[in-house]
This record gives sequence, structure tokens and C-alpha cells, in this order.
Amino acid sequence: MSKKMSIRDLRKEEVMWPGNPACQGCGGSIIGRLIFKALGRNSARVEVASCAPGFMNIRVPSFFGPAFEGAAAFMTGLARGYKIIGREDIVVAGLIGDGGTADIGFQGLSGAAERNENVFWFTYDNEAYMNTGGQRSSATPEFASTSTTPVAKMSRGKTSEKKNVPMILALHHVPYVATASVAYPEDLTAKIVYGKELRGFRYMHINSPCPTGWGTDPKDTIKIARLAVESGLWPLYEILDGRHFKLTYKPRELKPVSETLKIQGRFRHLKDEEIASIQKATTENWSRLLAIDGKDIF
Amino acid sequence: MVGNKAVAYAVKLARANLIAAYPITPQTTIVEYLSEFVASGELPAEFVTVEGEITAQLVCLSGSIAGARAFTATSGEGLLYMSHALHHTARYWAPVVMAVANRSVRTMQPDHTDLLAQRETGWIQLYCENNQEVLDTGIMAYKIAEDDRVRLPVAFALDGYVLSFTAEPVSIPEQEKVDGFLKPFKSKYPVLPETWDAELEEYKKHWQQGKGINEPFTPFAGDENFSHLTMVSWGKGHDLQWRWRAHQEAMMRAKKVIKEVDEEYGRLFGRSYGGLLEEYRCEDAEAVIVVMGTLASTSRVAVDNLRKQGKRVGLVKLKSYRPFPSEEMQDIAKRVKAIGVIDRNISLGEGGIVYGSIRSALYDQVEKPKVLGYYAGLAGREVRVRDIENATEKTLKAIGSGVMDSTATWIGG
Amino acid sequence: MIEIRFHGRGGQGAVTAVKILASAIHLEGKFTQAIPMYGTERRGAPVVAFCRIDDKRIRERDLVHEPDIVVVLDPLLNRSVDVTEGLKAGGLVIVNYPGNIKDTGLAGNFKVAAVDATKIALDVIGRPITNTAILGAFAKVTGLVKLESLAEAVNGELPSRIIASNVETMKRAYEATTAPANASGFRKTDVVKRASTQPLISYSRVVSDWRISHPVIDKNACVGCKRCWVYCPETAISLVDGKAEINYDYCKGCGICNEECLVGAIKMEREEV
Repeated sequence: MSKKMSIRDLRKEEVMWPGNPACQGCGGSIIGRLIFKALGRNSARVEVASCAPGFMNIRVPSFFGPAFEGAAAFMTGLARGYKIIGREDIVVAGLIGDGGTADIGFQGLSGAAERNENVFWFTYDNEAYMNTGGQRSSATPEFASTSTTPVAKMSRGKTSEKKNVPMILALHHVPYVATASVAYPEDLTAKIVYGKELRGFRYMHINSPCPTGWGTDPKDTIKIARLAVESGLWPLYEILDGRHFKLTYKPRELKPVSETLKIQGRFRHLKDEEIASIQKATTENWSRLLAIDGKDIF
Repeated sequence: MVGNKAVAYAVKLARANLIAAYPITPQTTIVEYLSEFVASGELPAEFVTVEGEITAQLVCLSGSIAGARAFTATSGEGLLYMSHALHHTARYWAPVVMAVANRSVRTMQPDHTDLLAQRETGWIQLYCENNQEVLDTGIMAYKIAEDDRVRLPVAFALDGYVLSFTAEPVSIPEQEKVDGFLKPFKSKYPVLPETWDAELEEYKKHWQQGKGINEPFTPFAGDENFSHLTMVSWGKGHDLQWRWRAHQEAMMRAKKVIKEVDEEYGRLFGRSYGGLLEEYRCEDAEAVIVVMGTLASTSRVAVDNLRKQGKRVGLVKLKSYRPFPSEEMQDIAKRVKAIGVIDRNISLGEGGIVYGSIRSALYDQVEKPKVLGYYAGLAGREVRVRDIENATEKTLKAIGSGVMDSTATWIGG
Repeated sequence: MIEIRFHGRGGQGAVTAVKILASAIHLEGKFTQAIPMYGTERRGAPVVAFCRIDDKRIRERDLVHEPDIVVVLDPLLNRSVDVTEGLKAGGLVIVNYPGNIKDTGLAGNFKVAAVDATKIALDVIGRPITNTAILGAFAKVTGLVKLESLAEAVNGELPSRIIASNVETMKRAYEATTAPANASGFRKTDVVKRASTQPLISYSRVVSDWRISHPVIDKNACVGCKRCWVYCPETAISLVDGKAEINYDYCKGCGICNEECLVGAIKMEREEV
């Protein structure tokens, strides 16, 4: 289990240089900075096609993995290669988008998880293919308007639910699975500090608001991520060995989902009954999670 | 020993320490033999039992970047599935070695179209005639790939079934001798966190001096490695053409390296394969046939038979298709009056791939021999000695005839 | 043939601008070509786009290297990009600039016309997307296209809900733009080129000219809670003696620190041009 941290426990040293070409208010940029702040400089970073290779100025050996589908493969080879040269101490960390995780990279991800490769996979989930202009991915939530699920006379946005990758990974019985949010850096850091000491496949799924793709004001990046957690849309939890489940943040009372949906351009079109259906699904999911909190699942 | 076992022995003798492969007939037993070597402790290596060929290739790529001597093997459809990753391994200048047990798509029998379809990926391609050559080529492949003048991945091919599952005597070199021939591998990439900042400073200096992507390429200067590792500025017009130029230059340097390695191997182990190509009974030949892979073996018998009948024919065995031995072919063309190219492959819509390459190589010759094309052994169709004799005789007869038809002949329908 | 180069920043709509312009002029019976220059540009990063106009079909496929007209969508862009590079002698620059036309920082053998496109866009659309405003100015200064054609062309390029406001923006900019002035005697701002001589990755780049407003910290009010520091996407905030301090070279002006400060110690101020 990760140990609670406060903002004051965060490491002062910056691993990310200032001055990057990400969009204003980029959630992924904050996540990249926080991840490597927590991992420290004895790590290596792998990225595949996503926004991240374009904006990360991180002072660790960095590899722009060549194939979109090959994040897991590239991380595997690197981890094995480090083992061969006697440097297993270097944490191989992948900073992969939701497409490279849930869609095109999924076969490799599942394979590496099943082999329990010694890597730490971070998904920064901005819920669409933002690097190519915001096409839907399987991580896009239902009803969201994207450039391939545009809202028009015959369409109400994406028609299917978001793929639940952390739970799928938990079913691979890997040592560590966690969710995190850019709005809760102390929770995110605590989980990385715990996870980096483990060996084997570790997976973290992080909510990463994208002002450009979500149609939000850059200043609201943190606010939206926080509202998602407080409304139960983005529960924060960790799962050890694919079994022991624990919520790491439990709001006393959930805020209505409408608060966060209404400030996002991609949900501007939602009708009251559609918001109600999202609310219902979110509340039900939250009560299911509360029921298994602190227990062994699967 | 079957061809697949010869591959496994080559990998073991080369002390490859990272193996990632996915099973596909007729390559499968290579992976099985290697698993046994690793499981028994005979070969200390990381064995990654991947879930597909793209992963296999990319594991080798990143492992090689980190400092592993990497090996993979595949066939036919598996090679095509891997194709995307092949480009990247070459573009990263990662000296990975791969064995290809040739397989024709939608059959399991061999032809060379699978690997020849990858000729634009930037890999060196070597073709083998018998299981001894398979073993020797596997060892030489690492020496060629890891040479500082090359640093490119090498694929070596053995015809599926005809070699992969056929047993014949193979002499296994002594490990100490191979160790003397092949030094331990070291990556050229900066991969350690503690040296990263210093390497990056060097790289920054390079850019601050105004040197950038349009500068002539200096092979393996530290700063250039970064541009392979990370993306470089796309600058004006996204100009990255220099990478292709540099890659082409390395491919051309590889011609010399392949010859040198082959000679050195010959000195140490008593077997060599002519470098880029081997001439057999070509000294006074009027007509020669050009083949790759096991057809070379069959062709030797055919040439011997025709020589007994007093016919002045010879064989050119093409060992290296990439880089292509244009100069050597031009030299042969000066000496003979007709060349027959037997392709165990086809580029549909044009024709035999080797046939096209050879005719292209000879275009600038003032006096050109006739070049005839034949297809044989596609989709694993059996090629008999008689078939090759017929083609060779047809080539010989073409000498002195009038205008030549550039249409190739199908051997065996 | 008339060749035009647009300079903007990702998010200001330079690519959309050339498409609207090309469509509008085509509506008037001419042949046009709109060329975007795609790269890894993010919102705020310098971008270029090109437009060609001719009476016959345009066969050229290269980029525009010697434009007749240069259009600059961002007032600060000429500090880091040589916007007049290759501009034909006696050519024209249309620039988004709020102050006196003499102070744009552009000087040479060409004419300059200016319009405060950012202000018009903020007033009418509510966001600093300056492409349609600058097109209004373009119509007025060059006479190469009618305002009505631009308004019609907008229909195909923008979502329906923002068409009316963008057409209004064009009109206002059209009215606000004055005749171009000869720039030969003006004062020139030095261009500090950065982009083309730097690797894209693993290198700090100065991004100060991306922003339209910047945060200002009231040191007396700051309690040193570190919230702005932890949430800054740019690593531009540090804590000095327990108080937040901003490195403005690396601040893009996203406003997260202002939004997240619990004690109201950070205010956003409009960037001075």
C-alpha cells in the first residue's frame, strides 16, 4: 500500500527542464513532470506516438519508441537490456497515451503484463487521439464529441463506454495497478514512490485534461481533473497483486457530474437525460467500488 | 543437423544474450532449440517469449540499444507482420541479427518473396545454400552488423523446409575460436542516467554551433546518436533526407565489410563464401546462371552435368542481395555472353526481383550480355536438376541469336 | 500570381485563415491554393501557412519562399521569427498590432498595415483567435477579396455556432484597419531566432512570447503553500525563501497558478506589446 504524502513531501529537485512546446495548460506536461520528480533521475523514459515526445524535456535517458503499437515491446527490450548490462536498478518508465495503451498498444501491453516484465507503465489519459487532432479512442467516455464522433443530426457523440484498462490490467495479476489524477499530486507521488520499489509490471492510469481537445480554458485543467475525482467519474484507487483493492481518496459526498461536464466543450451538447444517465452510471460504479474497498477482489 | 538447428548453434556460438521470437512454421524449431539452450544454461541469455512478431523485433531493437546482442527469427507472414518494425531497427542503426526461414505467403513452402519484399527496410540480406553456410553466416552476420562502418541489422535467409527441416552434416566451430573472431557487443547509444546530462551537453553544443540536420553525416559521432534516439527539430521543411543518405552510404560501406568478414572467417575456420557472391566454374564460361539460396546447390549439379557435355557454363551464387553487388555483376558481365537469372520470387506486375536488379546493374555497360529471366520454385514448387539444366541450356543457346525478348520463362508451369 | 505567407501561433487559426481566404477568392472566380505547414506544432507555437492566387490553375507545389504579402496573426511573433524573410521589395505586411504603426518593429522596403486583431477577437468572439479579424484587415488593405466572399467562405470552414461572431469580427477589423504606411524609416526589432537551430526535444526553449497574459505574484500575500509550483506545467515556478517566483522566460500564461492559488496572491495581467 502506498503511504499518504503531503504536498510538502514532494521532491524539490526538478527532473523536467522548463520551456517545452506543449499547449498552454497541458495536463500531460504536469503529469510528466510529477512522474519523473517521483521516480528520480535513475530512470529511463519510453514514449511512442503521442503528444508527449513533442513536449517532454526530461533529464533521463529518453527513447522515442518507434512503433505506435510497440510501447510494451520497447520497454521490455530496454528492461532486459539493462539487466544484461547489469543495471536492473534503472526504472524503465513508459509515458504512454491512451491510444498507445488501450487501442493499438493493447496486445503488447497485455503480453508484457502477462510476462510480468520489470517496467513501470504510465498512461496519461486525455481520452482521445489528441496528437492527431482529437479522434476518439477506446478511452473516450460515452457521449463525448470528438473529431471522429462529431455531434450532429444523427450523432450524439461516442456511443460506447470507456474501456476500463486498469481493471483489465488487475486481472493480469500484476504486482501493482493504480489510478491517479493530475489534480492530486501527493496521491500520485505516493503511489509512484511505493510502486518504484516493486519489481515486475506496474501500471498507473492518470487522468490528464487536454484544454485543446476537451474545449476547456487552459486555466481550468486542474479544476476539471479535481471535479472528476470529486464526482466519482475518476476514482482514485490502487490494486496490489491484482487482488487487494483500496480507494485512496473517498469524498464524503460525491459532487454532481454535471459540474465537470458543463465546463467541457466536448460535452456541451449533452441533454439533461444524458447527464442523468452518466450520473446514474457514475453513482452505481462508485457504490460498487465502495463495497470492495479494502477487500480482496477477483 | 537440420538448418534450424544450425541457426540455433550460430546464435549460441555468437553468444547472443537477448532472444525474442514468436513461433511460425518453418521457423519454429529455431526458437525451440534456443529455448533448450537457455533452459539448460548452455546459453546465458534473456529469452523473451513475446506475443507477436512486431514485439519480437522491437524487443531486439531496444535491447540492442541498451547493450544486448539481440537475435530473432521468423518466416513468411510473421516477417510481413514485423515489417513496420524492421524499418525502425534499421533507422536506429541497431545491429540486430535475424534468421528468416523463407516461406511463401498462403502456403508453408519456401520462396524468397517474403524477405525480398523487405528489401527497402534498410537491412542487409544474406542468402544461404546449405546448413553449414547457415551456421557460418549466422556468426558472420554479427561481425558485419556490429562493424563500426556498418552498424546495420542483418537478416540471413535459409529456405524453409529445404534447409530448415532437412538434416545434413555440419561442422561446429570451437567456441574459443568464435570468441576470438567476435568480440563482446557494446552499444553506441547513451543509455545510462549518470552520463545522460554530459551527452546532452555535447548534443546541445552541436546545435548551438549551428550544425543541425542538414550537416553532412559523420558516422557514430555521439551527437548523431541523439538524433536517432529522440526526434530532432523538423526545422524548415521537415528535412530529414540526410538520414536516408547516411543509411545508403553505410549500406555501400557494408559491401567492403562483408568481403573482409568473409575472408577473415575463411582464414580462421577454413570456409568462406566469396563475399557478396560466389562464382562457380565461371572461368571460361560463355553463359552463367544467377541464383540465390538452395537453388545454388541444385545448380552446381546442373552446371557439372553440362560441363561434362563440354558446355561452357557457370554459376553465380548471389549471397548478398542487400547491399547488391552491382560492380561484381558488371565484372562478370564483361566476361560472359549470356546470363540467366532464376528467381525464386516475383514482384507481381513487374517480374523477377533479382532479374530486374541485374539488368539495372548492367545498363551502363557498353557491351552487354543477354540477360534471360526464369521463375522457379515459387510457393515451394520442387526444382529439379533437370529444370536448371534446361534453363542453363536455353541461356547458352541465346548467345548469337537476334533480338531478345525480356519476358521471363516459367519453369515447371 | 500573388503569393501570401501567414505567420501565427498554433491555436490562432493561421491554417484556417488561408483556407477561408483561398475559398473566398475562388468564389470570385480565381484559382487559389492554401498550403498548411504541418509539424508538431502545439497551441502557442509559431506556425506558417501559405496562399497563392492566380488567374489560371496553380501548378507549383513548393512552399512560398518570396511572398508578395505577409500576414502576421500575433503581435509578438516578429521577436522570434523573421516574418519579412524573402518578402518582395515593395511588398506588404499586415500585422496584428495594437499600437502606433511606426512601432511594430518591422522596417524595410515594404508597406505595413496594422489592426488590433486580438482586441477585436476578444471583444466579439471572447477568445484571442485572431484569424478572421486579420482576414477583415486583409480585405480592406489589399482589395484582393470582398468582405462578402470571406463571410460566405467562413461557412465551409467554421462550426455553425461561431460563424456569426466571426463574420462580425471580420467586419469590425475591416472598419478598423487604416491604409498601409511605408516602413522604410521605421525602427526595427531584432529577431532572436530560436526554433530552427534547436533540437526539438530535451532542450529548454523560451516560450515567453506564447502568452497573451502573465501571472504576477503578490509576495506579501503568498503563503508558500507550493500549489502553484506543483501544478505549473512548465516548471516555471520555484520557491525562493518560501515564496513563489516565476521564471517568465518559460511561462506560457496558461493561468493555472492563478486559478489554483488559495489566497489570491496571483493575478493575471494582459501582456504589454
